[in-house]
This record gives sequence, C-alpha cells and structure tokens, in this order.
Amino acid sequence: MAKAELKTNKKTEIEDSSSLKGTLASVFFLGIFLVVTWASVYFLFLDRF
Amino acid sequence: MHMHKFEKIWLIFGIGALVVFLSVVGVSAFYLGNKPPSCLTTIDPKKVDTQAPFDKPGLNKVEGKEWDYELVYVASAFFYNPGEVEVPLGAKVKVIATTKDVIHGFQVAGTNINMMLEPGYVNEIVTTFDKEGEYLVVCNEYCGTGHHLMSSKIKVVK
Repeated sequence: MAKAELKTNKKTEIEDSSSLKGTLASVFFLGIFLVVTWASVYFLFLDRF
Repeated sequence: MHMHKFEKIWLIFGIGALVVFLSVVGVSAFYLGNKPPSCLTTIDPKKVDTQAPFDKPGLNKVEGKEWDYELVYVASAFFYNPGEVEVPLGAKVKVIATTKDVIHGFQVAGTNINMMLEPGYVNEIVTTFDKEGEYLVVCNEYCGTGHHLMSSKIKVVK
C-alpha cells in the first residue's frame, strides 16, 4: 500500500514540470525578433542605392 | 527518440529561418552578383596623380561601357579630390577610388556605398543614383589628426 502511494505522487510531479509552453513562447519571441530585424535590414539595403 | 511536439515546432522554425536567410544571401551573391566593393587592382600610391583614371578626379562620361559615368576619387590626408561633385539623377555610375597615403574610408552616408581605401589598391562600386539629394561622403577609418574634417559632397540633381 505504502509503495503504491509513493509511485502515484512521483508521476504527477513529472507531468507538471514537462510543460514547455513558456519555452515555446520565449523561443518564438526571440525567433520573431530575429526575423523582423533581419528582414528590415535587408529591405533597407535593397531600398538604398 | 522521443521529442516533444513544441521542440519539433521550434526546430522546424529555426532551421527554416536559417535556410531562408542563407538562400537570400546566396541568390544575392551568386545569381545577382552582389559583392563587396573590391576590384583587386593595384596601383603605386606614389604615382596615383599621374595614372589614369586618377589623373582626372571627378565625374567623367564614358562610352561603350555598362555604366554611363565614372566618378573618380583620390583620398589623401585629410581630404577627398573632388571636394564636391554633381551627378545627374538616374545615372549609372562606377565609383573608383584610391588613397595616396594611409588607409581611408569612403562612405556615402545613407547609401550602400561604403568602401575601405588602402594604399596600393583601387576600390570600385557600380551603382545607380536614383534618389535626388545631397549626400555626405565621410572617412570612416581613423586616418590621423584631421580625420574628423575629412569629407566630400555628392549632389544628385535633375
């Protein structure tokens, strides 16, 4: 009985810490910043003579 | 190998962005022929004034070439020759420049014309002056005590 209870607790903990929503948001925050700055510099280059 | 769904998403995004960036730069360089302004021509820095085209600095009309004008600049401490030049709007111009003494810069502020002038080497860039206005040419390589006074002007006029 005691053993089984211990197991259940552990499982729940692992599931909670495996969420990557925050990581996904921060990766895309950085990614979109890089794409926007790269594109704006490239179009500035094309626009100038 | 187990991979989280989000990990797949950002890996695809990251690799995709890298592929797009490198393709744009690659097409620009190898298909459109954009390259840094260097023509690998050498010159004796002591004889710059007597050698063509540097014996006639300024805007010179040329025939039978891909460009209409040649804009010749000689840089020396601490000025450019010519100090001011007028270019007709829409003219396709080859800018040719060199230096007589130390390393100078040649940057036309607000444009893509930006070269390094090294003694013994000629640098050139072909461009079309398609925007009217006054452009400041500045030295962006520290060349000595008068570096900050070194400038020239290009007027693009109709």
